[in-house]
Amino acid sequence: MNVTRDRLVTPLVFVALLAVPLLFFDPSTTYISRRFIRVMIFAIFAMALNIIFGETNQLILFMGGIAAVGAYTTALLAQYLGISPWLTLVVGALFAGTFGALVCYVAARRQFTVIVLAIVTFAFQMIISEVLVGLRDITRGSTGFPFRGLELPAVEQLTGLGPFAVQFYVLVAIFAAVLGVYTWLKRSKYGLAFAAIRQDEFAARATGVNVIRLKVFAGFVATFIIGLVGPFYGQTTGLIIPSLFSFNTVDVLVLIVLVLGGLRSRYGPLVGAAVVIYIDNFLGNFGQWRTVAFGILLTILFLYFRDGIVPSLQSLVDDRELPAALSGALGRGKSK
Amino acid sequence: MLARGAELLVDGLARGMILSLLGLGITLVFGLGGILNLVLGVFAVVAVIVCSFILGVVPELLVAGVGGVAAVALFALVVDRSVLSLVYEEEGEDRELLGIFVTLGLSLLFEGLLFVFFADSFFLESDVPSIDLGGASITGSSIAVIVSASVLFGLIYYFFNYTYLGIATRTVIQDETGSILCGIRPRRVQSIVFVLSAAIAGAGGILYALDAEVAPASAFELTTFAIMVSIVGGVDSIRGTVAAGIVLGIIITVAGALFGSYLSTVTLFAAAIAVLIYKPEQIS
Repeated sequence: MNVTRDRLVTPLVFVALLAVPLLFFDPSTTYISRRFIRVMIFAIFAMALNIIFGETNQLILFMGGIAAVGAYTTALLAQYLGISPWLTLVVGALFAGTFGALVCYVAARRQFTVIVLAIVTFAFQMIISEVLVGLRDITRGSTGFPFRGLELPAVEQLTGLGPFAVQFYVLVAIFAAVLGVYTWLKRSKYGLAFAAIRQDEFAARATGVNVIRLKVFAGFVATFIIGLVGPFYGQTTGLIIPSLFSFNTVDVLVLIVLVLGGLRSRYGPLVGAAVVIYIDNFLGNFGQWRTVAFGILLTILFLYFRDGIVPSLQSLVDDRELPAALSGALGRGKSK
Repeated sequence: MLARGAELLVDGLARGMILSLLGLGITLVFGLGGILNLVLGVFAVVAVIVCSFILGVVPELLVAGVGGVAAVALFALVVDRSVLSLVYEEEGEDRELLGIFVTLGLSLLFEGLLFVFFADSFFLESDVPSIDLGGASITGSSIAVIVSASVLFGLIYYFFNYTYLGIATRTVIQDETGSILCGIRPRRVQSIVFVLSAAIAGAGGILYALDAEVAPASAFELTTFAIMVSIVGGVDSIRGTVAAGIVLGIIITVAGALFGSYLSTVTLFAAAIAVLIYKPEQIS
């Protein structure tokens, strides 16, 4: 993306995001507000996947599990210690991040291919789901427990905003932070190193890139982010239950969001999340046809539309600008 | 105590043989063409559904079973010729990744359709009576599973060792380029083996339904079990997969009886993770 356009797009996106609660949130119907909150959560999940999979080619399929680790740690620790979950939020995220980093370390050390890491993380996803249901005494099994701790009543009173609007703004802030980190990563020497790893790991190693350290770093950042947003995700339904964090409810959706929006694009996850959550809600009335539709969407996306919306739009715009710029340059050439 | 142990061992063996069949479904296709077939569980469930519908007309389990397997084979042929052909156009790691995503999409599509049209759960009744062996009561379904699975393993063994197509398949598994030089057409072998793997999974599903209820939601579970068994067995080794299935079947049955079912499932996944960490190069 060229820098001038970027300077224009970023403020526009954030002005639009900040205006959302004022325009659409209605205290009498919560479902619209919940829908926008879900968009932000899945956009952030997809940004995390973008960092680990898009940048360093490590496909993780335990995003639901990692979000669960963050959510359960945050909520249960807060209950156990009798403190606000705002304080344990970082502990949950750190725990999730450490676990993710550990998995990525073993994967990088043992030179896992993409498929091996995908299968290992998938197996972890299954284990986490089983353990959450099985350790009934601690996690309260498949019936879960209510969770509403991540609200800011003081801010609500001060600003006169509803709880959903405040929640939305908190998520916009996290989104902005993640976007900032991602942009910085891409433009720093890390971005170069990531590109080198993606293209040829052995060549990257030969030129002095510390592949293991970078993969673990990307793994930590991504799983930390997922673990951080996990509790907010649990709060959207007001109930933390294992089925909320299953492979089908989180990982499949995040994959579709990222690929539809555009792998390695900065705003792809947001665009993808908006489209996918809209479709999800639209199809929610049709029961299991929703699964059918997402199956078809996933298949077609990967077979025919791997570029994603945002990169496709960008190249469309570039294609229009390019001939104009070229003919301009040629015109000048002729007149000289 | 001894009798209870023997019962567990026989049940574990029966369960293990079913796991072996399902694992083979993954191993054959992944070993051959690098596609991790996540639709496998759907094939198993569809076979069970077709089988139970045929049973409504012809009350003979063997006939209905063959009918179910044949229907799934046809279904697999359509999937292979249409969507998978596009995946096989890619090579190496691209094909593996695309294979995962496309078969994941297809499995969601088919699972959704199963949920919409066949939301019931299905159970098949075997006519084999239970027998008493030195105080241990061996269930009829376990006997039926062990006998049928043994016959199937015999057929599979014969296919891979004594038929031209079976040997050609093993050649492609070892080296795709080399097989072309030997005059084997890999894409054709891939198609045939995909259909074969679906048929094996279908048979596995039908045997599974003799002892447990099968519903559309079972498809996902059967696929994951199959992948784990295949991995523990070495992914491209047919013998390894059969052995892994039987050993894991006995382990999870015994562990399930001793520590409860959730820990037995965890054991299965933990075993797969341990094998992958120990030998990650087996999938490459």
